[in-house]
Amino acid sequence: MKRALTIAMLVLLAMPLLYAMSQLPPHGSATSPAYTHISPRYLERGPEEAGAENVVTDVILNYRGFDTNGEVTVIFTSLAAVLAVLLAGRKGDERPVREPAAEPSPPSVVVRFVVRLLGPFVTMFAVYVIINGHVSPGGGFQGGTVFGALVILITVVLGRSVAEKLQPLGVRRILQAAAPLTFVAVGVLGLALFGDYLAFPRDEALAWVRTSWLMVIEIGIGVGGAAIISAIFWQMGGDR
Amino acid sequence: MSELFDLVLIALLIACALAVIRTKDLLGAAIIFSTYSLVLCLMWQHRGAPDVAMTEAAVGAGVTTVLFLVAIGRTVRREK
Amino acid sequence: MIAMLWQNIDYVGSVVLFCIGLYCVITKNNLIKKFIGLNIMETSVFAFIIALGVVDGGEAPIMGAGASAPFTNPIPQALILTGIVVAVSTTALALSLIIRIYEHCGTIEADELREME
Repeated sequence: MKRALTIAMLVLLAMPLLYAMSQLPPHGSATSPAYTHISPRYLERGPEEAGAENVVTDVILNYRGFDTNGEVTVIFTSLAAVLAVLLAGRKGDERPVREPAAEPSPPSVVVRFVVRLLGPFVTMFAVYVIINGHVSPGGGFQGGTVFGALVILITVVLGRSVAEKLQPLGVRRILQAAAPLTFVAVGVLGLALFGDYLAFPRDEALAWVRTSWLMVIEIGIGVGGAAIISAIFWQMGGDR
Repeated sequence: MSELFDLVLIALLIACALAVIRTKDLLGAAIIFSTYSLVLCLMWQHRGAPDVAMTEAAVGAGVTTVLFLVAIGRTVRREK
Repeated sequence: MIAMLWQNIDYVGSVVLFCIGLYCVITKNNLIKKFIGLNIMETSVFAFIIALGVVDGGEAPIMGAGASAPFTNPIPQALILTGIVVAVSTTALALSLIIRIYEHCGTIEADELREME
């Protein structure tokens, strides 16, 4: 009964959606309003004006940098919220003791060896994706996530103590806040030098400054993203 | 040819979504959802959006799945 | 009609996926299953917005040597890039809430939780 009602409701919902879809410009048309207003300018002047050959990077970090500034704050806030939810009413890092059904057998030698072998290559790929984000697909989020995935892999296979060596305790808090901090630093630098928050130098001769600022933000987002992802994973208890 | 590829990808997406609903085992549902993200990533790569495809592959198929697995590990595996 | 659907197959696919996700959210009882349904809804909206930016024969908007027009629209891509990362943040928060609910109540079935009040 409930299922039939739901399906009827969904059909009723799908009909206006499909009707609205039929009123849209046809898929792939180059004359649709979404494509004829701002995009041509971004596509034409983006590389000179904003400093990166990858126009998507231009849009997220330069033209709409304020939006991305808010977004990295959202990720940081989500880490804070996860910590608050999982640690509420508990002291420190302790979790309710639950008897494991059976002692998990440690991964075999082959798995451990392959993870040790892969580690440097995955790290190199992550760094490449971050550093090269302005000329090829990729950037801070993608590279940071790849490195975070490596930390998760090491935690699962080699244990949390090995993974934590990648992020020393003293600087871990700063690493987790790296993305918003870098963004605010670059924004305030723009405010001090050019009079607007997140303003980039406009001068033709300063193209290398624009590109290097983009790179600094990418590295900040990458480091912060990796630290936040591994911290969320550890806190949700994936290390057991 | 290109349209046929589109059709196959979209059919795969819908099949994955239906399989997620049908599966009673949450672990299986999480893995199928990861496949769904990968197919979506292929589709976006084919649509000329490699940045988004890369993000979806790393974040959607990687980290989201890991978080689901951790949550299933700390709660229950079977759906009632 | 069929020709229109065929040409707009991306949009049709997004609508179908959105409805499947909503069905999962409404009818499933398990909180994790509900959340996977919500994720399907999210990704269907992402797919729709990416489809809005597609241009026939368009290349990726990367202006290196050898790139030639037309390029796909970069703005929807940038918006969705942001959206995907925010989606994973909400997923992490919701899953940790589900873990706490399980520790507190011993179940993650919505109807059992409702009876518990």
